[in-house]
Amino acid sequence: MHQFDRPAVEIDKVSFSYNNLKVIDELSLQVPRGTSFGLLGPNGAGKTTLIRLLVGLLRPRFGSIRILGQKPSRKMAHLIGYMPQLHSLYSELSVIQNVEFFARIYRLTDKTERSRRVEEVIRLVDMWAQRHNPVVKLSGGMKQRVSLACAIVHNPPLLFLDEPTVGLDPELRVTFWEYFTALTKQGATLIISSHTMDDAAHCNRLAFMRDGKVIAQGAPTELRQATGHPEATLEDAFLYFVHGGRKKEDA
Amino acid sequence: MPSRVFTIAARVMRQLIRDRRTMALILIVPLVVMSLIGLSFPESHVLDYIAPALLATLALFFGFLLTGISFLRERSQGTMERLMASPVSRLDIVIGYLFGFFIFALVQTLIILLFTIYVLDVTYHGDLWQIFVFQIVVITGAVNLGIFISTFARNEFQMVQFIPLIIIPQIFLCGVIWPVEQMPDYLQWLSTILPLTYAVDGLRNIMLSGENLIDVGVELAVLVGFAVAISIVAAITLRRGASD
Repeated sequence: MHQFDRPAVEIDKVSFSYNNLKVIDELSLQVPRGTSFGLLGPNGAGKTTLIRLLVGLLRPRFGSIRILGQKPSRKMAHLIGYMPQLHSLYSELSVIQNVEFFARIYRLTDKTERSRRVEEVIRLVDMWAQRHNPVVKLSGGMKQRVSLACAIVHNPPLLFLDEPTVGLDPELRVTFWEYFTALTKQGATLIISSHTMDDAAHCNRLAFMRDGKVIAQGAPTELRQATGHPEATLEDAFLYFVHGGRKKEDA
Repeated sequence: MPSRVFTIAARVMRQLIRDRRTMALILIVPLVVMSLIGLSFPESHVLDYIAPALLATLALFFGFLLTGISFLRERSQGTMERLMASPVSRLDIVIGYLFGFFIFALVQTLIILLFTIYVLDVTYHGDLWQIFVFQIVVITGAVNLGIFISTFARNEFQMVQFIPLIIIPQIFLCGVIWPVEQMPDYLQWLSTILPLTYAVDGLRNIMLSGENLIDVGVELAVLVGFAVAISIVAAITLRRGASD
């Protein structure tokens, strides 16, 4: 199969441990291109570790990972955008200096094009009015917006967003999701980790995670229908799969 | 030199410049320290003897501490993780940091040097520019040592604990206060593997005996070797986050 025809992400029986504690356990997953794919699960399910494996910050002990048909490496790092769980910004620098720095790191070398793109993404996250403010003086939600701007400034075809909506007010959360949807419509693939079912409902496809394993995956509607209750919520669906495909009261 | 190195160096400099208090401390603290040391020596010839060693020691101390803590912060605030997921190489990061801090360490060293010579009135024989060039090599090693050691610390408190472990023993073992020859044999041997020994010897030979950079070629070569080796080790051992 040509690398452009392959899924955006292919994970085959990957395991990873921290100090003999298995955090990812023979996990296999495929993420089709152009989708928003949610990794859903409680804290400690292995979502962040999985994302760190996918962006090449960690190496799997067993199994293999392919990102856009290639092994995660520095050579293909320009194809991915990464928004870590922490805000991960230079607090002394202003909004525009942070975004500009990452634009340069991702080799947006043409000055006019770089300035245009930096302005575009800062406007997109609605931080243009605060562009000269140092990050240290911004609220948590504003930092989250700047962090997203830094992750997308080089227009990557594949984005890894680790808990991108944590700490956002409901209005901003809606704005973020409108933007994520627009990105997928443009052909980008988004891998989004979250532990809230609000986020899950916005994704094209989901993987429920628990104890380093994928316990179920599919479209939100498919996962809800699998419970056998037409009115079931995604939370009900998650609990259904946590209890091994049985209703909670039967477990 | 890759453009990413300069991008990182420019960012490090911009961060420091925007932190006005840190900038003021970088410039004022060495002057206060040198003034106190200078005024505490009633005999000027003793100060003449110890000044070259102090210049080397302060360059090592401030270069090590500033870079170490700054680098550690890069990891604890998560920006290192972001950089490591980008196309930037580990060596780009280390050399970028080296360049970024180098300018400040250089200015600091120049201020200390001029203050020592013109305010504390320390007698010297060698060329001022040769003293300065020698100090550049000392700073390079100190900055890289700070980067390397910061990989073993998980927070600023731990980083500060490395000062008594890395810097203070060198002050006692490398001929800063008393000649190395007066120490027991095994400590003399130990001093031969410590970079400050070569920095102190080289600067003393230039400032007290009027030797030039070629005369102190061995000391210079050892310090260059140390700086290169420690930057490579720092790049290899670079970690992404404080919790890794």
